[in-house]
Amino acid sequence: MPPSPSALAGLVVPYLQRQSWFLADMSRYDRGVWATFQLADLEIVADGRPGMASVVVTVGNRPFHVLVGWRDAALAPAMLGDHQGAVLGMCDDGSGEVLCYDALADEELSTGLLAVASAGRESAKRVRLVQSLVSHAALVYDERLFMKSYRVLEPAPRPEIELMERLDEVGFQHTLRPIARWERNGRDLALVREYIPGAVEARLLALTSLRDLLGRSIDDDQVRLEEVGGAGGDLSSEARRLGELTASLHLALAEAFGVLALRDAGAAPGVAIRVHGDYHLRRVFRTDAGWIVGGFGDDPLIGKLGEPDAPREPRFASPLEDLADLSYSLRQVAAEAVAAQPAVTRPRAERLAKAWERRNRGAFLSGYLGVEGVGRLMALNRSEAAEAIKSLVAEREKPA
Amino acid sequence: MVSSSLPVTGDPRWYRRAVFYELLPRGFFDSNADGVGDFEGLRQKLDHLQWLGIDCVWLLPFYPSPLHDGGYDISDFLTVAPDLGSIDDLVALVEDAHRRGIRIISDLVMNHTSDQHPWFSESRSSRDNPKADWYMWADDDHGFADARVIFCDVEPSNWTFDQKRRQYYWHRFFHQQPDLNYENPEVVDAMLGVVRFWLDLGLDGFRLDAIPYLYKAEGTSCENLPATHQLLRRIRAEMDAAYPGRLMLAEVNQWPSVVTEYFGDGDECHMCFNFPLMPRMFMAVRREQRFPITEVLAQTPAIPAGCQWGIFLRNHDELTLEMVTDEERDYMYAEYARDPRMRRNLGIRRRLAPLVDNDRRVAELLYGLLLSLPGSPVLYYGDEILMGDNIYLGDRDGVRTPMQWAPDRNAGFSRADFAQLYLPPLMDPVHGYQAVNVEAQRRDPSSFLHWLRRMLAVRHQYPQFATGSLEVLPADNPSVLAYVRQPGATEVPDAVQPGLDSAAGAAGGPALDNAPDQAGGPGGAGPDAAVLCVSNLSRFAQPVELSLGRWEGCTPIELLGRVPFPRITAKPYSVTLAPYGFYWFEFEER
Repeated sequence: MPPSPSALAGLVVPYLQRQSWFLADMSRYDRGVWATFQLADLEIVADGRPGMASVVVTVGNRPFHVLVGWRDAALAPAMLGDHQGAVLGMCDDGSGEVLCYDALADEELSTGLLAVASAGRESAKRVRLVQSLVSHAALVYDERLFMKSYRVLEPAPRPEIELMERLDEVGFQHTLRPIARWERNGRDLALVREYIPGAVEARLLALTSLRDLLGRSIDDDQVRLEEVGGAGGDLSSEARRLGELTASLHLALAEAFGVLALRDAGAAPGVAIRVHGDYHLRRVFRTDAGWIVGGFGDDPLIGKLGEPDAPREPRFASPLEDLADLSYSLRQVAAEAVAAQPAVTRPRAERLAKAWERRNRGAFLSGYLGVEGVGRLMALNRSEAAEAIKSLVAEREKPA
Repeated sequence: MVSSSLPVTGDPRWYRRAVFYELLPRGFFDSNADGVGDFEGLRQKLDHLQWLGIDCVWLLPFYPSPLHDGGYDISDFLTVAPDLGSIDDLVALVEDAHRRGIRIISDLVMNHTSDQHPWFSESRSSRDNPKADWYMWADDDHGFADARVIFCDVEPSNWTFDQKRRQYYWHRFFHQQPDLNYENPEVVDAMLGVVRFWLDLGLDGFRLDAIPYLYKAEGTSCENLPATHQLLRRIRAEMDAAYPGRLMLAEVNQWPSVVTEYFGDGDECHMCFNFPLMPRMFMAVRREQRFPITEVLAQTPAIPAGCQWGIFLRNHDELTLEMVTDEERDYMYAEYARDPRMRRNLGIRRRLAPLVDNDRRVAELLYGLLLSLPGSPVLYYGDEILMGDNIYLGDRDGVRTPMQWAPDRNAGFSRADFAQLYLPPLMDPVHGYQAVNVEAQRRDPSSFLHWLRRMLAVRHQYPQFATGSLEVLPADNPSVLAYVRQPGATEVPDAVQPGLDSAAGAAGGPALDNAPDQAGGPGGAGPDAAVLCVSNLSRFAQPVELSLGRWEGCTPIELLGRVPFPRITAKPYSVTLAPYGFYWFEFEER
C-alpha cells in the first residue's frame, strides 16, 4: 500500500514552497495565488519500500512536478546523508511510518526512474545528478544517457522535444539523440537523450582561446589586430566548424518544418525558417567527433496565472537571427574575458578581444556560408550577411 | 648493474611492453676515428641505453648505399656498409645487447632498391635478361595514374625514363629508388631470403619501411592492396614458424582505420606506427585543449590481441603532416615551422627541443603523454638530452647530426678531424654540445636525462601503460586531458617482475631516491589496477573536477613521488595542475 494521494500532496506543497526553483518561478506572481494549490495528477511508479510517486500539483494553471520517494522511517535518514534538505516529512503507508523525500536524492530510486521514463526500455547501474535548474533537474546514467526531469510542466509536446524529435526524423545527426520521453495526461514529465561524456561547452573553448591570447607577452605596439588569432589557442578553425554545424542545423530545420517567405522584408530579404531561437555558446558542445547542438532552450511559458496558456507560436524567423545570437555570444564571452583582466591591462585586452571577436565571427560565417545548399536559406552574399549580422548584434547589445 | 630490460628469452610478446630507441648507427659513436659512427661504437655505448632503460634498439639502415635517401636506397641487402664495420661487428653488437636484455631490430626496405643495386643494373641492361622483370618497366609513363607522388617537392612523376633500356621504370619515392616487381615470384623469394639471412644472424626483427606500396594495380591508388597483405601474412607465418618472438613493425603512414588492416587478424604485423597521433599531441599543447588528441584516439580502432601501436614524438623523418587536414597543416606550419627551411614535403623537419622552443616543461608533458598513451614508445636518439637540430643542413640531415656525448671535441662522438665528420655536430650556444651532452646530464641529477630515466622506470613497473585499455574521463576544463589505463577484462597481465625488469630496481643515483620499493601495493594498487593520468595542456595553472565515483574511498597515490592525495569521495574530485603539469595516479584502498 503506498501512502494516500492526499497525504503525499499535503507533504509536497510545503516542500515546494521551500525550493529555490519554485520560488524563482513564482516570484513573478502575486503571493495570493500560492494558496490555490491543487493535486492535479499522481502516479505510483514504485510500490513498496522504497517506493516512489510522480506527483503533479498546480498553482493557478501552473503545473509543478515532484518525484516523491519513501523508505522505512528508521532507515531513510542514513540513506539521505548530506541531502537532509530533501526531506518532505512523515506519513503512513498502511504498514507503518515512512519518511518521504525528494526521490532525486535517492540513488536507488533515481536509477530506477530511467526504466519508468523509458517504459522499461532502458536501465542503468549508476546515476549522478548534474544540474538542478528552475525548469528541470538533469541526471546522467552510466555516462551514457541523460535525463531531463521537468519541474515546471508544459502541455506536450514541449517545444524542445518537438524540435528534437523532428530533427531526428529528418536524420540530423549533430545533436544528442532523443531516446525516450515520459508523458502523462498531456504533459511531458521527462526526456531521455543520449549523453556524450567529455563534451565541452563552446563557451569554455572560447575562454581557453581568449586566455591564451590575453596572456601572451606581446608588446602593445606589435599587436597586429588582424593576426591576433593566427596562432596559439586560435579558435577560428573551431568557429568555422561551428558555422558548418549551424548551417546543417538550419537545413534540417527547414526540411522538418518548411520554409516561409519572410513577411517582414525590412530586415533582410530571404526566407524564414523555424530557428533555434536561443542559440549561443552554451548551447553548442565540442565532442571528440565534432560539434553538436546540445539543447534548444527550455524557458517555461510565462503567462497570466488563472488563464489557460496561450499555445506557443512556433518561432519562424530569418536564419540570420541565430547567426546574430551566436555572434553576440562571441562578443559577450570576449567581454567576460576582458572583465577578468586587471584594470591596468584592460585597454590592451579590449583591443585584442575585439580583433578576436571579429576573426571568429568571420570564421563562423564563412563556415556557415560554405555549406552546400545554404544558399536557399540566405540570398545575401558574404559581405551583406556580415553587415546584417553586425547590425543585429548591435541591436542585441542595446539595453532592453 | 641490474639488467635494464626485459629478458631476451621469455615473453614472445615482449614488444608490447618495450621502450624502443631509434638511432642512426652513423651518428651514434665512432670507435675508429674515421668520422663515421659504427657498430663497435654503438656496442661501446650500450651502457648508456641500458642505464636509461631501453628495451629495443631500432637501427636505421646500415646496408651499403649511395645514400641518396639516408640509406633507404639499398645497393646490397646481404651485408653492411663498410664504414659501419663488418657483419662480425654487427653480430658482436647483437650478442652484447642480448646479454644486457636489449633487443635489436633493423630497418628493412622491401619496396625498392637503390638504382646502384646489381639487380637493377642487370634489369636495366636489356629487356630479356634473367632479371628483366624484377622491376616495373613500361613503354610509357601513363600507368597507375591514380597513385600520388609522395616526394612531391622533388619528383614530378612516379615514372622515370631509363636511357639504357629505353623504357620507363616505376618508383614510388626518389627516382634513384626503383620499385621491385612483387608480381614476380623470384623477387618474393629473394626478399624472403633477405629476411632469413638477418634473422639467422640474430636480429630481433624489422621495421618494415614503406610497406603499403609493395603491390600495384591499375585503377587503384597502388596503396594497401590485398596482395600486399597476403605477402605480409606469408612472411609472418614463416617468422612465427622458424623465428618465434621476432618482430615485424610496419611503417604505414595512413589513418588508423587503414593501418589496423596491417595487423591482419593478428597474422600480419605485430606493430604499426600510429602516425596521426603525433602531430596532434603538438597541436593540443599549442591550442591548450585536448580535442586534437581525443579526436584521434576516438578514431583509433581496437587492434587484435598480441598487437601493439608504436608511438613517437619525433623520428628521423620530418614531423609528418600527411595525416592531418590542410587547415591543420597550415596551423602546424604557422606554429612550428615559421621558417620555410623547417618544412619538407608535407612535414616539419625539426627535433623535439626546438619544436617546443626549448621549454623543458612542454618536453616533459609531451613525454608524459607519450609514455602513458596506448602503444610502445619509440624514442629518437638525442632526444633524451633534448638535442637540437640544424635546419641549414640538406634533406633530413638536420635531425641526423652526431650524438652529443660530452663537451669535448666533436661532442665526444669521434676522435677524427672535424672536417672528416659525416655531419658537423651542433655548436650553437643553446643546443650545441658544450651546453647539451650526456656527460653533463649524467652528472646533474635534475637533468632531463635523469628525469626521463625515472619516467621509463615507472612506466616499466605498470604494464597497464603498455597493454591496458584506455578510457578518457570527461572534464569540463578543455585544457585538461584525463584518462584511465586499466588492464582489460581479458588481459592476462604479462609475466612482469616488478623491480627486476626496470632501471628503478637498480641502486641508482640521487634521482632514484624516491623510487617505489614495489610496484604492487596494498589494496587495489599495482600492476593489476587502474592508473589515472591527468595532464594540463595549458601554459597556465588549471583546476579540474573529475568524476571518480568508481574509486570512492580510495586514495590516489602519485606515481613519481608516491605522494598520497586526498581520499576520493562521492563528490567530484578536484585536482589542480601547474602549467604543463601532469600526474599519474594509482588508487589505493586505505
